[in-house]
Amino acid sequence: MMFAGIYYSTQRLVKARLASDFLSALHFWGWQAIIVAAAITLPLGFSRSKEYAELIWPINIAVAFIWVVFAVNFFWTLARRREPSLYVAIWFYIATIVTVAMLYIVNHLSIPTSLLHSYPVFGGVQDALVQWWYGHNAVAFFLTTPILGIMYYFLPKAAERPVYSYRLSVIHFWSLVFIYIWAGPHHLLNTSLPDWLQTLGMTFSLMLWAPSWGGMLNGLLTLRGAWHKLRTDPVLKFFAAAVTFYGMATFEGPLLSIKSVNGLAHYTDWIIGHVHAGALGWNGFMAAGMIYWLLPKLWNKPLYSQSLANLHFWTGLVGILLYVAAMWVSGITQGLMLNATTEGGTVLAYPNFLDTLNAIRPMMLMRVIGGGLYLVGWLVLAYNLWRTIRGAQTVNGSIEVYAEKPAAADTRLGFAGSVFNAPVLLSVFLTGFATLWMLGENLVSVAGLVGALLTVVAGYALLYSRGKVWQGWYERLLLNALPFTVLTFVAVAAGGLIQIVPTVMVQKAANMEDRVQVPYTPLELAGRDLYVREGCYTCHSQMIRTMVPDVLRYGDYSRLGESIYDYPFQWGSRRAGPDLARVGGKYPDVWHLRHMEDPRSISVGSNMPSYPWLSERNLDVASLPAKINVQRTLGVPYGPLTPQQIFDQVNEQAKGIAKNLRDAGAYVAPEKEIIALIAYLQKLGQFEPVTPAAAN
Amino acid sequence: MTNAPKTPPPEDPIREHTYDGIQEYDKRLPNWWLFTLYATIVFWIGYWFYYETSGIGPRDTAVLAAELERIEAAKLAAAADLLDDGTLWQMSRNSVFVQAGRATFNSTCASCHKESLRGAEDGGIGASLVDGTWVHGGRPTEIFAVVDKGVLEKGMPAWGPIIGAKKTAEVVAYILSHHEEAK
Repeated sequence: MMFAGIYYSTQRLVKARLASDFLSALHFWGWQAIIVAAAITLPLGFSRSKEYAELIWPINIAVAFIWVVFAVNFFWTLARRREPSLYVAIWFYIATIVTVAMLYIVNHLSIPTSLLHSYPVFGGVQDALVQWWYGHNAVAFFLTTPILGIMYYFLPKAAERPVYSYRLSVIHFWSLVFIYIWAGPHHLLNTSLPDWLQTLGMTFSLMLWAPSWGGMLNGLLTLRGAWHKLRTDPVLKFFAAAVTFYGMATFEGPLLSIKSVNGLAHYTDWIIGHVHAGALGWNGFMAAGMIYWLLPKLWNKPLYSQSLANLHFWTGLVGILLYVAAMWVSGITQGLMLNATTEGGTVLAYPNFLDTLNAIRPMMLMRVIGGGLYLVGWLVLAYNLWRTIRGAQTVNGSIEVYAEKPAAADTRLGFAGSVFNAPVLLSVFLTGFATLWMLGENLVSVAGLVGALLTVVAGYALLYSRGKVWQGWYERLLLNALPFTVLTFVAVAAGGLIQIVPTVMVQKAANMEDRVQVPYTPLELAGRDLYVREGCYTCHSQMIRTMVPDVLRYGDYSRLGESIYDYPFQWGSRRAGPDLARVGGKYPDVWHLRHMEDPRSISVGSNMPSYPWLSERNLDVASLPAKINVQRTLGVPYGPLTPQQIFDQVNEQAKGIAKNLRDAGAYVAPEKEIIALIAYLQKLGQFEPVTPAAAN
Repeated sequence: MTNAPKTPPPEDPIREHTYDGIQEYDKRLPNWWLFTLYATIVFWIGYWFYYETSGIGPRDTAVLAAELERIEAAKLAAAADLLDDGTLWQMSRNSVFVQAGRATFNSTCASCHKESLRGAEDGGIGASLVDGTWVHGGRPTEIFAVVDKGVLEKGMPAWGPIIGAKKTAEVVAYILSHHEEAK
């Protein structure tokens, strides 16, 4: 939907045909092939385990390549444009393309161990930070900015009304792309992520509220004078509802980023409800509206049925509301139950985790009904589409455009013209000074504060004295696609640099707090890869937060050092099962064996799937030497080990576990996968204390 | 509800340039919107100063440590009137206690010891609690200690910290209700 909307609107907004039909076709078929590859590899357990970044490394390279194809096609078209000035939709498309490329590449940096498996170059807290810098902004720049651009084209077209405010477009575009990037750490609130990053993530998420609503306002207020058309036009119905869902979701986002609210909502269905309000409401309904608007134009034939489109709208709307409401109730119920204490706050009110799961079962049924209705709506669309285009020919014509005279030399902004002017310099100074104030010590901090204040005062004065000049400069910038793209990239790169570089550069010792985890033995590492393969992280976190209920339920809170050798990190983001950070040693080996074979034989009412094949399949030991070599390269302290030594270590430890099981009356051969997984689970939570001096 | 499209008021100039027929107003930003933006910026500055620059705001870990200290004190106070064997036997004959203990036992302990309490004899992982042999001592206070502190090397978790002293006593009372007090 996004690519179609961008390709369709860009050609018309810049008065130029797409640069290359070959690239367009390559983009389309390449993307389809990636989807097929994903649908095959993920169910088979080939996964990197990072959210929205699960695909294995060969597919990662394909995605990056196809994205570059898209970028080349887009910018090439821009270069051949006959409309010198860039419309606001194009700004958002530019931001999308450069930012997604940056995020995707950094978060997918990995070292392969085989054709289908790799370890990410970041581990522990660094991996967590990079992942959520990516994960949060994948939502921002894959699901928000391109859709905003599409809104800026299709909504005024469908409403036949002027866009509400150009200056709101300018302000909300730049504030949105700049601030969004900083907000990633709000996915890691109350964890062992360093405090300053949590505070940055929370406060910038709150500051993101107004810029997000700027987009909603420009959408909804553009409908002023066209509201009566909503009664008859399903396209506008979809757009108005979609923009409203965008407003709801972008209010809910900052709310959930407040640390105390997050303590309740994190790891529950509330978060899932939040993203689905955005995905089903905002993205889905924008897509539906766009399709209903485009169909008659692309096939030069009226839509087969307006009534069916209206039916789609209402079933979809009811579906979303049921779905999201169910997730809210479910998330808040589970959050309250998990955090509730009794006997004067000294013990958990619901010590049995299963109680919290069984309480939300009715909500899962609601969720299925809501999602089902939503899906039915799309089937109605598919039928409507098929009836509309059946027997019709696609429009294959050309449009004559009035090309303004090519940009004169005096509209060119070179490097100097783009960078050395008041608005850009003031923004750079303000960001720099604010960073010094936040992260500097003592005098540096004070200097940063003073500098930031002076910049604000100077900026305010200049705005009033030279506002018109700035306006002229910005209009000229819109004639210069390359400088515009460079400035956008600088704006989005700033937040990431300031958060990630210190965390990656800092010595590992400073990231440990007072503990360091004991590195995994080869068998445990193999078990960990099984844990990733089976997707255990989707329901089990490994991060005990700095909150009383978490500590009462799972044990002492997690320290940074306790996941420092975890490539990839497994902190998790949803608890459909209990946290496992300190599960090691809590139960005997045979407990884990029985629990994996049939969870309900141990925990009555558990909804965990059974994993019987783990007791049947033999462990892949042959790949371990390559894996351990990569881990050693990444900085995990494995001594020099020959493959034979690795195999011997695996055998010895596996025999020990098999003996434990035999003593408890269970007979499992030591070569089986379950043995490795038990070894891993029993290792979780083992650490050695470190003193700061020793760490340095 | 008006049916006719409103014409824009004259004070709203439309920008000269159009893109594929799309026109743009250039209206002032709504004041409440600007206020929201400024308010969140002010909040950022204040919050950062309170927690990060000045150090007035306490760290999460400090808040947590103080809270855990309070919980430990409350538990110690509750443990002051120590349970003795006689009290536990008395509880095991109190149906309120035994019923409450049965509920906790079935949700928490039965996964290993089975609802029949026969444990390994009944296919469970844990020891039988009704066969009259007590590996870790059969006095009520000894049984209480096993439930409370666990026997980690045998795979028995420490339940006291999780279910609390009251529920632990109830569970012990329920187990004892299957036994006779030796005279």
